[in-house]
Amino acid sequence: MGQIKYQLPAEEILAPGHFACPGCGGTLAMRYALKALGRKTILVIPACCWTVIDGPVPFSAAGVPVFHTAFETAASAASGLKAGLEMQGDHETTVVAFAGDGGTFDIGFQALSGAAERNEDFIYICYDNEAYMNTGIQRSSATPFGAWTTTTPSESPKAENKKNIIEILAAHRIPYLATTSVAYPDDMIAKIQKAKEIRGMRFIHVFSPCPPGWKFEPEDSIKISRMAIKSKVFPLLEIFDGVDYRLSHEPAGTPVRDYLKMQGRFRHLKEKQIEEIQKTIDEEWERLKSKLVSSKRTRQSNGGPLAKERNLFHVKRGEALRKE
Amino acid sequence: MTKYKFTTVEEMPPLAFSIESTRKIPTGSWRHVRPIYKDKTSPCEVGCPAGEKIPVYFDLVRQKKYEEAWYKILEDNPLPGVTGRVCYHPCEGQCNRTFYDESVAIHNIERFVADKNFHNNPPERISVTDLLKSEKVAVIGSGPAGLSCAYQLARKGYRAVIYEAGHEAGGMLRYGIPHYRLPKNILDKEIGDIVSLGVQIKVDSRIGKNIPWGELEKYDAVFVAVGAMRSKKMSEGQRLNSSRSFGEAEGGDLKGVYSGVEFLYELNTGGSPQIGDKVLVVGGGNTAIDAARSALRLGKSEGSRPLSGKVTVLYRRTRAEMPAVPEEIEEAEKEGVKFEFLVAPVKIIGYRGKVSKIELQRMKLGEPDASGRRKPIPVVDSNFTIQADTIISAIGEEPDLSFLPYSFLKKGVRVFVDDDHSTGVPGIFAGGDAATNPNGTVVNAIRAGKEAAAAIDEFLGWRTKMDGVKQQVVQSEEINTFYFPHEKRAKFPRISVEKSKASFGEVNKTLSEEQALAEVDRCFSCGTCLHCDVCMTFCPDVAILKDEFGEYSIDYDHCKGCGICVNECPREAMELVEEELQWA
Repeated sequence: MGQIKYQLPAEEILAPGHFACPGCGGTLAMRYALKALGRKTILVIPACCWTVIDGPVPFSAAGVPVFHTAFETAASAASGLKAGLEMQGDHETTVVAFAGDGGTFDIGFQALSGAAERNEDFIYICYDNEAYMNTGIQRSSATPFGAWTTTTPSESPKAENKKNIIEILAAHRIPYLATTSVAYPDDMIAKIQKAKEIRGMRFIHVFSPCPPGWKFEPEDSIKISRMAIKSKVFPLLEIFDGVDYRLSHEPAGTPVRDYLKMQGRFRHLKEKQIEEIQKTIDEEWERLKSKLVSSKRTRQSNGGPLAKERNLFHVKRGEALRKE
Repeated sequence: MTKYKFTTVEEMPPLAFSIESTRKIPTGSWRHVRPIYKDKTSPCEVGCPAGEKIPVYFDLVRQKKYEEAWYKILEDNPLPGVTGRVCYHPCEGQCNRTFYDESVAIHNIERFVADKNFHNNPPERISVTDLLKSEKVAVIGSGPAGLSCAYQLARKGYRAVIYEAGHEAGGMLRYGIPHYRLPKNILDKEIGDIVSLGVQIKVDSRIGKNIPWGELEKYDAVFVAVGAMRSKKMSEGQRLNSSRSFGEAEGGDLKGVYSGVEFLYELNTGGSPQIGDKVLVVGGGNTAIDAARSALRLGKSEGSRPLSGKVTVLYRRTRAEMPAVPEEIEEAEKEGVKFEFLVAPVKIIGYRGKVSKIELQRMKLGEPDASGRRKPIPVVDSNFTIQADTIISAIGEEPDLSFLPYSFLKKGVRVFVDDDHSTGVPGIFAGGDAATNPNGTVVNAIRAGKEAAAAIDEFLGWRTKMDGVKQQVVQSEEINTFYFPHEKRAKFPRISVEKSKASFGEVNKTLSEEQALAEVDRCFSCGTCLHCDVCMTFCPDVAILKDEFGEYSIDYDHCKGCGICVNECPREAMELVEEELQWA
């Protein structure tokens, strides 16, 4: 077996020379996403780091057409683009909304919810760096409990837990939901490729560390991202149809302390608060586990993967729509 | 990018859009540190006295280039088949994988490579020069030190002549190591390879006896590597007990008393020493273990008496202090050799000129001595006597230097040498167990030969260029263990204990190709790039490129110096260096 190696699609669509900070997780997310999606892709980018990263006019790093749109409109713009392509008879091009956590969890939320409810046929990728980073590190509803941001200073760090966007979207019963991380490029590419094969609304949640916003050295980006997975801070999941949960990676369950200690944004935390965070993580994990178990039971009692049939249904519905 | 039809601003659509790639933007100017590829030294390479380039030949094995791997080993060690079997493998003790799960079975791979090439001959390109030099060098002794020195000299273009006192070349390898550990066809093959490179071996040529020392004067340099072939007398080895002298006078001349070297010599030259029912071996080194395991086989192979359990090793310290290779001790134990620790012989008691009993004294461990091991201290009034028919004393060996004519500077019983193996007499060098600071192992003798060859080369004014610059050594905490799932170390195959203790056939077998490849995959390859693409995979700036030969290059026009590649490199084959400031 030997060393872990990654077999990624060779084609590099993302160009160098983009404006991301050194060690940017969101940029790696884009690089892998483009590798998985291929050149027949249109990106819709609302206000977020990637608005800047893509480069100033007349330059663009993405290597595929990018439609820059307003903060709250990623999902609605993507819906419109997809509809437009369908009208032109282009059923091949994948439409991808690529948004930060602010544009997904907060400002773009109603558009996202609407698109999910309508089961629009595009992929929504949220690269989650857990705050409004390019505007100067303001807290978002994706910022975790206890974190420092410029609007939640260390004297009164964020007192609320991170919004569970995955559960909210699962409640919309969209065909495919997945969480992934830039530290596991093979996992990320496999999930996006799987999403590409499915019709309807697909949501990919990418855990993307931000060196300046989280206050760590850029070289540790991958390490931190990996620690988040290992310590169960961020589970790697797939949810089919909003009900069928599957765990992609069984984490070792290292103490969350190791993960927190690596980041300046958690430096002010007291031992008691760290314990509290650990407790929350453990409870959340138990809850997730019960969902995984019941999903498995349902799959077994249905005599096969439930999701597979449902996906076919979505494909068929997509095709029917196209014929009309 | 798509070609657009507009040529003027008026023709442009009423929205801003980009038509150029950011590739034109040199974001490399943001960088203040620069990642570079830099191979480093692995700890096993440092641990190997011969200095074998272990990760490099491992990589060749990984690619199934077994011949290339063999050539790589041959650069430092002409006897991989021998060391792959008998080396105490200090390399494995240094292996960074030890801190993670188990060390890589390096010596098994060395043996695998050597055995894969059993029918191959070393290529001419193993020599570092085509030029045959006019200088001639004499080497006294064809043990591992002598062979290694002559071989390295031959690689450098010298004509080397080995004078061997025995009837066959090999020294201790031939006469000191039993067949079950080192089959002689392996030794013959590797000596044959050395001879094929132009080394001349004159057997039955004992300097000072049938060859006068004067004959060596026609050589430009001499390397003395006569080894330590003479067993120490018990009285010398057990000075601690000197209050009650125990030496030749007190039982040393009795029938049934052997020295370890004598015993093994007789066995290895086709003789079968007469041993009795109850064999005692005194000593804790490799000679003692070899003698004990051989005695066990001797009893069995003759079919005369069941000997199992009747061979006992007596050692004055405890198992932890035994200088023998731990694996060998374990093997001996498996085969039925018994051990008695913390005892020292006092007197051998004879009956009608034959050994009948031995008087022993209990010991306890005191403070650590110069060798770092705890000193045995006699326990007062603890003497006791046990029955014995055969006593093999293996308490250490020393060189026989009576042939040396000059008043060589000596330290104890050995030739005193400097770090460069020079003796003080111009042109005369010495190494291996005959010289100072020996450690009595094959691989250290090979190192001594290699170093002496370099020193002789320098002495003769050539300084043939050899590679092997010491660089920074990779520490275990620098390995990114995420990339290495835990895996069990390969277990070398061995014949059953029942079979092994009944004959002198080789006990351990070579790894299968499958096992060897799996074991090589366990290697972290500390400091040596294996082109695993991890650096490329995690570059957010798409600034690492791979050419058609699989080599990496960094696009410094765009690399922002985040350092992820360096941090993620599983094996520390990259590093970050400060960027020089340029105020352009």
